[in-house]
Amino acid sequence: MSFVPGQPVTAVVQRIEIQKLREGENLILGFSIGGGIDQDPGQNPFSEDKSDKGIYVTRITPGGPAEVAGLRIGDKIMQVNGWDMTMVTHDQARKKLTKKREDVVRLLITRKSLEEAVKHSKGSHPRQ
Amino acid sequence: MPAEVKQEQSPSNATSLAMMQEPQEVVEETVTIEEDPGTPTSHVSVVTSDDGTTRRTETKDMSTNVKVTKMVKTVTTRTVRQVPLGPDGLPLPEGSSPLSSYTDSIDRRYMKNGGERFITPQATSTLTRAYNNSYNDSYVETPESQYIRHYGLHEGYADLTDNYGSLSRGVNFRPPRYPYMPNSYRPENSYTLPIRKDDYGHVAQPQVPMGSSTVDLNRSQPERFQPEPYGLEDDRRSLGPEEEEPYELEPDYSTASRRTLPGTNRGRTHREPLRDVHRVRGYPDDPIEAELIDERHPYIHGMYSAPLAQPERGSMASLDRMAGRRSPSIDSIRKDPRWRDPDLPEVIAMLGHPIDPVKSNAAAYLQHLCYENDKIKKDVRQLKGIPVLVSLLDHPKSEVHRKACGALRNISYGKDNENKVAIKNCDGIPALIRLLRKTNDMEVRELITGTLWNLSSYEPLKMVIINHGLQTMTNEVIIPHSGWEHEPNEDSKPRDAEWTTVFKNTSGCLRNVSSDGAEARRRLRECDGLVDALLHALQSAVGKKDMDNKSVENCVCIMRNLSYHVHKEVPGAERFQDPSALQAPGSAGPQRKKKDDAGCFGGKKAKEEWFNQGRKNGENDKNYDTLDLPKRTEPSKGFELLYQPEVVRLYLSLLTESQNYNTLEAAAGALQNLSAGQWTWSNYIRATVRKEKGLPILVELLRSDSDKVVRAVAIALRNLSIDRRNKDLIGSYAMRDLVSNLPSGQQRPAKNLEEDTVVAILNTIHEIVTDSSENARSLIQAQAIEKLVAINRTSQSARETKAASHVLQTVWSYKELRNALTKDGWNKSHFQPTVTATPKATKNGKPGYDDTTLPLMEKNQDGYSTIDQRDKDCKYKTDDGSADLTEREPLKNDTNRKHYIRSNRPAVSLVDACDVKPQPVDSWV
Repeated sequence: MSFVPGQPVTAVVQRIEIQKLREGENLILGFSIGGGIDQDPGQNPFSEDKSDKGIYVTRITPGGPAEVAGLRIGDKIMQVNGWDMTMVTHDQARKKLTKKREDVVRLLITRKSLEEAVKHSKGSHPRQ
Repeated sequence: MPAEVKQEQSPSNATSLAMMQEPQEVVEETVTIEEDPGTPTSHVSVVTSDDGTTRRTETKDMSTNVKVTKMVKTVTTRTVRQVPLGPDGLPLPEGSSPLSSYTDSIDRRYMKNGGERFITPQATSTLTRAYNNSYNDSYVETPESQYIRHYGLHEGYADLTDNYGSLSRGVNFRPPRYPYMPNSYRPENSYTLPIRKDDYGHVAQPQVPMGSSTVDLNRSQPERFQPEPYGLEDDRRSLGPEEEEPYELEPDYSTASRRTLPGTNRGRTHREPLRDVHRVRGYPDDPIEAELIDERHPYIHGMYSAPLAQPERGSMASLDRMAGRRSPSIDSIRKDPRWRDPDLPEVIAMLGHPIDPVKSNAAAYLQHLCYENDKIKKDVRQLKGIPVLVSLLDHPKSEVHRKACGALRNISYGKDNENKVAIKNCDGIPALIRLLRKTNDMEVRELITGTLWNLSSYEPLKMVIINHGLQTMTNEVIIPHSGWEHEPNEDSKPRDAEWTTVFKNTSGCLRNVSSDGAEARRRLRECDGLVDALLHALQSAVGKKDMDNKSVENCVCIMRNLSYHVHKEVPGAERFQDPSALQAPGSAGPQRKKKDDAGCFGGKKAKEEWFNQGRKNGENDKNYDTLDLPKRTEPSKGFELLYQPEVVRLYLSLLTESQNYNTLEAAAGALQNLSAGQWTWSNYIRATVRKEKGLPILVELLRSDSDKVVRAVAIALRNLSIDRRNKDLIGSYAMRDLVSNLPSGQQRPAKNLEEDTVVAILNTIHEIVTDSSENARSLIQAQAIEKLVAINRTSQSARETKAASHVLQTVWSYKELRNALTKDGWNKSHFQPTVTATPKATKNGKPGYDDTTLPLMEKNQDGYSTIDQRDKDCKYKTDDGSADLTEREPLKNDTNRKHYIRSNRPAVSLVDACDVKPQPVDSWV
């Protein structure tokens, strides 16, 4: 998923909808994120392109809402409820995910296996 | 044995290099413009090594907050010519139709009056395009023209979306508003008007040939500013709860200006470009027309937003966005080839254009171009653009100096220190300070202080900033915003500090300059009202339980830095020295100040002696509890406040309440600094920490997840244990927590602390067990021997090995403990230095040094100056990541050392992302 600055990027994305779990006062998604434009992308173990400053899923609570919804470790989050996550700071991403008013979070994610699946299916370009 | 040094955190190093900030530039691509300072800026913290003897760690946060502004919208520089565009592809943006009708009527009206004069429909930016379109309407009132108009808009936006990450963001950002567009029509919005009128005189100057660069400029600029039309107010008004989303974005993307806008002149400035365009087009200076124009503005808002409202672009848009970086050239390429953006020399030339709006637009455009683009910054410098911008700071028109300041802020941000130097070389620093004195415009003040913050991250500029701006910044910003009053009015309640952006920027700047060595510290301490105001601000933060923000962090860091070496540097300090300490050769009188920073080794020796003396005097500590604090005839003020025992409570409150690791580290560092030294005040401080029940607070922080907090606390405990009673208490209650931070052999504990921290803990343990067999016994009971032996034998780090070895030797020296040790299966060989230890240890030391007597910390100072070390230094874990990320950069006070670094390492590596960046943050959501 490397990209050339200035050029449009295409990626195969999957839509994942996570219903937040209410635990006391907190709404829980059950995963953790890493990355962001303020982080060192070189330390991201999940990105193929080590200059990718995107937001990645780093951990998932077993049995938690994220796992139930099909999110996986290493997924790159492209959007959260329509908000771009490819050029945001870590904290911006966190805030977008943890809005108290929202019980549902719709993610657009991409992962390597998706790309490959698409390649195998003869160049049809599934969009979301 | 070796290590008994107290370390103070020295401020010095703390500087943060500005360079690192790049990450900071927040990318706000959204429309607007400036980066928010509020966003997590990058902070670089630097760890410096200290002067001679001590090691200090400083965190500097350099965050330069750079506010970079990005004007995203720039893109549109395209003109719509009388368009041959067919109606074909033009899907009207949904929102546009209603608007268009609006526009039509208005324009039409307009036309009646002045339409005929409208000469150059062609060159307009998108924004303008809207205008133009309206023109066209009146011009040719055909349905096609409308189409065209829409098309134009749409197209322009589409370009944006495609090319720009940021733009697209903008797109996302807006959609929610769009439905409300009509609402936004508010006459009040037409702030533009007044300006236009002002400028009317210029209008007549058709100097701008069509297609000439000026025109181009204008064209493109308006785009950038578009966001403004969406003034916050409008949105708020119309948005329902759901629509608030866009607002929420603000914190993230928002530009500083946006935030500020609500207050003062919102947006007005930004819109100027629009006006300019018209003006240039040659509107007559006609009051009636002006009015008309006025009316139109509101609609324009609508127009703008309409195109933006393309929520559907959704998913793909984001992908496109990744493409990312705006490059001006692409903008233009996409556009009609007949029009081009002005090139850099042209833009710079426009800074000197006789028409003020052209100047300000050129500056704004430069600001945009420079955003996160080091190449362009460099080009601007080489094209001599910086002196021109600096000269515009003195321009009477606020638009002009504001934009110039914005451009300078972006230029000053980043790793290229040459840009900072260039600003300084054309007297930019005094010019900024002059403007700070002159202006009351909050936005301008934010820009000025943001620029100064950026500049302050470069070591050689620190003193310049102090010389020109210290008192002004203190009087204009720090004091008023801190709530402190020189002559408190008895009747009025003490005011609380206001954590404004201006305050944050200014305190960040002072934080940086406070690390520039003894002279800088002296200047800051003696700056009238500064220490008083900072303390007041911190006390107010504690009172309000608002201790996690950046401003507090900056204030604490300044206090920490100013507390460094107070016992040597404060005027009259010698009166308070313990007599024995005074006699130590080379110990610090005020006259030694400068050298302290320079000669690390010379200083060390002195320090060590001083430390030993302190130890001898340890017996006196027994009296401390009964010691009366010195009598004061009048309340202390100024720098005296730094070391009054009263501050202990403040720092302890911060240590108890703050969640900000940098603040915690700085507060612990301040206690560390204050409890070092052998003068009366440090005796009081050490006793006061105990009496205020500070020891358990510190011990608790040994469990912190933050490496640097653990380190600062460990060193503070070491200094505090000069006080005999403290030593007993720490030995009894802190030993387990200290030991639990130690790695077991090659296996690092969960925390995985850095070498520096491990060494600091070992040295603290050493200090605690020295002269106290009770404490040594506690150490054994804490299961430490196994860990110490493992470190001694297997650690990869010579410093750790050595420090562990010293502790072991000390423990073995207590004959009464050997029995117990033997029972546990240890024998003498476990407590001997390992064979390899010596060679390993000398590696870092200077040849000829007597290892056994040198304080460990000192010897290893070199370690601090190395980049690798630095790298390690940045480890943060925070829930909220960005705000707390600090990058440290080691700065040395020591000039030699600097050279050393510079010469031995490629400059680049200093700013290499890896070095600078904090360890990855991971947040559960």
